[in-house]
Amino acid sequence: MSEQLIQNGSVVFHGEKAPVKKDLWVEDGVIRQIADKISAVEGAQVLDARGKILHPGLCDPHVHLREPGREDSETIQSGSEAAIAGGYTHILSMPNTDPPIDTGGMVTYVQSMAMNRSRIPVSVAGCLTKGRKGDKLAEVADMAAQGAIMMTDCNHALQDAYVLRRALEYTRHFDVVVGVYPDTPALSGEGVMHEGELSFRLGLQGIPAMAEEIAIERELRVAQAVSGRIHIQNVSTAGGVASIRRFKADGLKVTAETTPHHLLLNHESLKGYHTRFKMMPPLRTPEDQEALLEGLKDGTLDMIATGHAPHTDFEKNLDFSHAPFGVTGLESALPALYGQLVASGKLDWQTLMRAMCDAPRKLLKLEPISFVEGGKFEAVLFDPEGETLISRETTKSRSFNSPWLGETLKGKVEQVFLGSSKLI
Amino acid sequence: MNETTVLNSDEVEVVIKRLAGEIFQKAGDECIALVGIQTRGVTLADRLAVELNTLGASFEQGTLDISLYRDDLSNLAALPHIESSEIPFEVEGAHIVLCDDVLFTGRTIRAAMNVLLDYGRPACIELAVLADRGRRELPIAADYTGVKIETGKEDYLRVHFQETDQEDRVIHYTAEGS
Amino acid sequence: MSTQELLQTRKDLLTIGDLSREEILQILDTAKPFKDLFTRSVKKVPTLRGKTVLNLFYEPSTRTRTSFEIAAKRLSADVTNFAVSTSSVVKGESILDTIDTLQAMQVDYMIVRHSVSGVPEYIARHTHAAVVNAGDGHHAHPTQAMLDAFTFREVYPDMKGKRIVVAGDILHSRVARSVFEVMHILGVEVATFGPATLVPETIPSYVKILRSFDEVFEFDPHVLYLLRLQLERQKANFFPSMREYHKLYGVTTERFKILRERGTWIMHPGPVNRGVELVDDVMTYERTLINQQVENGIATRMAILYHLTPEEQKRLPLPEEIRA
Repeated sequence: MSEQLIQNGSVVFHGEKAPVKKDLWVEDGVIRQIADKISAVEGAQVLDARGKILHPGLCDPHVHLREPGREDSETIQSGSEAAIAGGYTHILSMPNTDPPIDTGGMVTYVQSMAMNRSRIPVSVAGCLTKGRKGDKLAEVADMAAQGAIMMTDCNHALQDAYVLRRALEYTRHFDVVVGVYPDTPALSGEGVMHEGELSFRLGLQGIPAMAEEIAIERELRVAQAVSGRIHIQNVSTAGGVASIRRFKADGLKVTAETTPHHLLLNHESLKGYHTRFKMMPPLRTPEDQEALLEGLKDGTLDMIATGHAPHTDFEKNLDFSHAPFGVTGLESALPALYGQLVASGKLDWQTLMRAMCDAPRKLLKLEPISFVEGGKFEAVLFDPEGETLISRETTKSRSFNSPWLGETLKGKVEQVFLGSSKLI
Repeated sequence: MNETTVLNSDEVEVVIKRLAGEIFQKAGDECIALVGIQTRGVTLADRLAVELNTLGASFEQGTLDISLYRDDLSNLAALPHIESSEIPFEVEGAHIVLCDDVLFTGRTIRAAMNVLLDYGRPACIELAVLADRGRRELPIAADYTGVKIETGKEDYLRVHFQETDQEDRVIHYTAEGS
Repeated sequence: MSTQELLQTRKDLLTIGDLSREEILQILDTAKPFKDLFTRSVKKVPTLRGKTVLNLFYEPSTRTRTSFEIAAKRLSADVTNFAVSTSSVVKGESILDTIDTLQAMQVDYMIVRHSVSGVPEYIARHTHAAVVNAGDGHHAHPTQAMLDAFTFREVYPDMKGKRIVVAGDILHSRVARSVFEVMHILGVEVATFGPATLVPETIPSYVKILRSFDEVFEFDPHVLYLLRLQLERQKANFFPSMREYHKLYGVTTERFKILRERGTWIMHPGPVNRGVELVDDVMTYERTLINQQVENGIATRMAILYHLTPEEQKRLPLPEEIRA
């Protein structure tokens, strides 16, 4: 694909409220011309994108690739293929592998594996503390030197405020961000779902919203005190959104993410005890969903991350309390968000682009993607009239624990371009 | 379906009187126990009781629900409602007259005998029916029969009693064309 | 032969909420003739002859298991007990593996007890057998609630407008959840009483929360239903001491006097912690229904087994005498 002409597509440009119909001329992975009408020259490949959306390639700052250690549930190769199928051209791999990525050597190791096995670039996050145990700082500077740009203990929430403080102070000089999963383990305890009337009725131990809200408040307060650079993962509660909004207004440099599931689903889905809805933080209430959407629109929540967490059938077939938390998300994110929010007018393409491309790329210190002449062509072609069936047969991930398994979502990722290569 | 009245109201009365007479004649001074099978067998037993009282017979009465002993229970599309069985006398050594409205395959009577035997060991069990429509599937016969008629397998034979159906009548429904 | 009302049937009994009021009444009505059987010399009926009932208990409970065992045996079913330690789950055998094994053994009814909520529902989805929830986690204990309703109804045939107080550890009680539901559906006014740590505000809105024994007396229940207190709750700081619990929430000698004067009936799912939920005298009180609950448990469970139909059982059209 040295020369390609994409005609009649609806292109999502920065600063344009709605997609604009334009033709794009791409040569060797670089956009040469953007115009209302470009005629085909001989030898060029022509793609008629009438009725389709051309969007910058997506970026997911929260993906569990499970390699090394749990290659039965996902590998760098299968996980990155799932990402491509979902329209992603860059992902950040989480360090809770086995062994965990908590040294510079491990960072290099995973990066070199990713170079060979993934068709899209994979950034690597390192652990904040040794072995994710929460007590001793990992060698953050060493990992940063090898290219890790985020330090996080993933779902092992930092319990010790002292460690949090030192981590946020220490990392200031290495241009890395501390990712925290906001939870107060003493309050979430053995809980498996959102605490409320439904958890009482189902007889399942609840995880109160305050477990997250208190943690966010504490984390931000510490970050503010020591001028640390902090990123809040998996925000799920209205209270959490309110705290972040307040600290941002106060001038704190904080970024925050929420997930497609928390935006699109709520705890009512748990009525049948289906473990494919079991995740951490748990699905919350419809009111929380509203607040998350509001927070996403006003920029309190910078980005949408899938938190793609593959688990084998065996694990997810355990009973509700023993089954692990987590759902896959790479392949369903765009169609699910499009169908439920964009198509219905609750969310515009600009906000979606910010949340799924600009903000995560900025977090990962990547060049922004823009459709401008001379810019690198990194894009996803999305057909709003198409359909995406989430099924065992169609899934690229090794695991099938999608909350939408068996469902047909609106819209379809048709093609993905990364520079001069066409990924699908 | 074609409908034929086998016994009208007056005839039902006559037949029940006759059955009571036969039962009394055979029992003599011995105390018998009339046991009706839910629901119309119970009505028949009640009617017989009235007549036996007039005749000065000594007897006891009980009711049976045989649903739990049906041999086709697990195959039914819906479950029969279970009525109480009331056997207020000692079954051990009793002379029992089972009462039912219609005798057909014999399977209900088989079930009723099994229920009774689970209460104890009676001296004997006899059977009184208002109508015998033949077509037995088990080796069972009535000791006292009100009326005997030939029926087709797909026919219906219905007994109506004042108490449950606002009239006394035995009706034979024949399938069209048979 | 007879005009008989027909009963609805269903595959599983997982929670009271699945049942309609009519269905609950049908089961309670059916339990009565089953209870009558207990006075006969042969207490057995051939109803489930040739069927296999499996007690699948992941959590030990001799009482409930025995009650189901007797109920199934009185229906002439073959009963097998299958005790599974929860530790095998961790060792890599999922519940689904177990169910596949049992499915191959052609079990018709599975009685499931598990310490995790939702397991019976999960099993029911994966088997043709009829599944009875014999208690799951904190979620539901529908057969207990049904036998309690049966016992209540023996005392008050018209339950509508009667009052019940369910007292104790509501938070961790599957019995409380199911009793709330069944009593509410049958028109009983429901209130609850216990330490605020154990009576969450997330309970159904139709349940009135009482804060002291004075309020209990003011509510004046026809039945006071005491739950068993798990003694380990004290360690998790739900209340400071057993002594304080008994003093505030137990039936003390003084309170028992008042209850006896009023003729309040006492129920308890057993086993009782004497000196915690109630003082010893209550056990010999003529209006204590604890033993009746046990007896009624068998009849009610027989009625429930009768009411359920495993999938894949071939169905014949109703014979003439039933349809009439």
